Amino acid sequence: MVDTKVARRYATALFTTAQKNDVVKSVEDDLSAIVGLLKNDAKFKDFLLSPHVGREEKIKIADKLFSDRVTALTMQALRLVLTKRREKEIANIYSEFVALRREHGSIAFVSVTTAEVLEEDQKKALLAKLEEKLSKKVEAEFDIDGRVIGGIKVTYGNFVLDGTVRGNLRRLGEKLRHDILIS
Amino acid sequence: MSQQEKNSSIPYPVKLVVGVLLMVGGTYLSLNSEKYLPFQKGLAEQGLPLDLGITVAVIGVFLMLFPVIQIFYLNPLSDAINERTSELEHTFTEAETLRSEMTKMRNDYEQRLAATEAEARSQIQAQIKEAQELRQSLMAEATAKADEMVKRAAEEIESEKQKVLSQLRTEVVTLTLAASEKIIGENMDTDKNRKLIAEFIEKVEVPS
Repeated sequence: MVDTKVARRYATALFTTAQKNDVVKSVEDDLSAIVGLLKNDAKFKDFLLSPHVGREEKIKIADKLFSDRVTALTMQALRLVLTKRREKEIANIYSEFVALRREHGSIAFVSVTTAEVLEEDQKKALLAKLEEKLSKKVEAEFDIDGRVIGGIKVTYGNFVLDGTVRGNLRRLGEKLRHDILIS
Repeated sequence: MSQQEKNSSIPYPVKLVVGVLLMVGGTYLSLNSEKYLPFQKGLAEQGLPLDLGITVAVIGVFLMLFPVIQIFYLNPLSDAINERTSELEHTFTEAETLRSEMTKMRNDYEQRLAATEAEARSQIQAQIKEAQELRQSLMAEATAKADEMVKRAAEEIESEKQKVLSQLRTEVVTLTLAASEKIIGENMDTDKNRKLIAEFIEKVEVPS
């Protein structure tokens, strides 16, 4: 059972400490690497999330794997999470940590979806335009989804700027259906 | 009756004297008919043997015997006639009474019959009127129900028609969009995609 409140508390404590020690970027990279490993390595994920493996053993293996690869603060936080048996919250702690870092840095996060890989000039132009419009620094995540057919979709916060062919067709369909229902 | 009373008003002794005189006189005349009544002989020769003296004597005898006749014959006969008349009058009276009672009863019966008929007619009229009202009410109700059913059926038909039309149009829209999506997808290339993205970047407006 994932508990976002718990993840938020852990993330807040970790972010505050990292900010004090000026290692926010390093800790975020460490957490990103750990979460990436959990996503990509099924054996590691099964081991870390298994209820049959004792916490001491998990801490011991984690020490062996990460102690010389991550910052001391990240390692300390990981040990704490494993000691409290909150290993299922690691991905959420990372998400909350990134969110906190963006909140404190006044950074807007946008998710960009296109049918083909965006070229660098277009990425730069898009981010520049968004930073200009939002008056904030913008971080973007670029996804490829062939279902959009063409165009681009930008999502941030509760807003969706849909300039895809699929989105336009969907809106056209909704308008036509709406007109049909009214007539 | 009045003649009898007149006869009775003459006293009997007078009648007796007159009777004796007539009897004696008649007898005398009969015995001396050739002297006093000579025409009788001619009548007898002609076939009419009339003897007025005897006739007068018989009248005198009759006057002398009249009270006896009256006592033994006329009075009982008169009484019988009177009784019969009385009975007849009584019978007629009774018959008249009965007739009037019957008439009265018949009138009563006719009145009752008329009243009964009138009441029956009135009740029949009332029943007919009530039946007609009920019939009209039922017909009106049935008509209203039928109208309502027809109206509802028409509305349902119209609703179904609109529903089917909407479904058809929606289906047409869906198929058209699917076809459009397929055609656009087949005709989409990198250049067009870049152009679309460039237009988006140029025109994008961000809600704050």
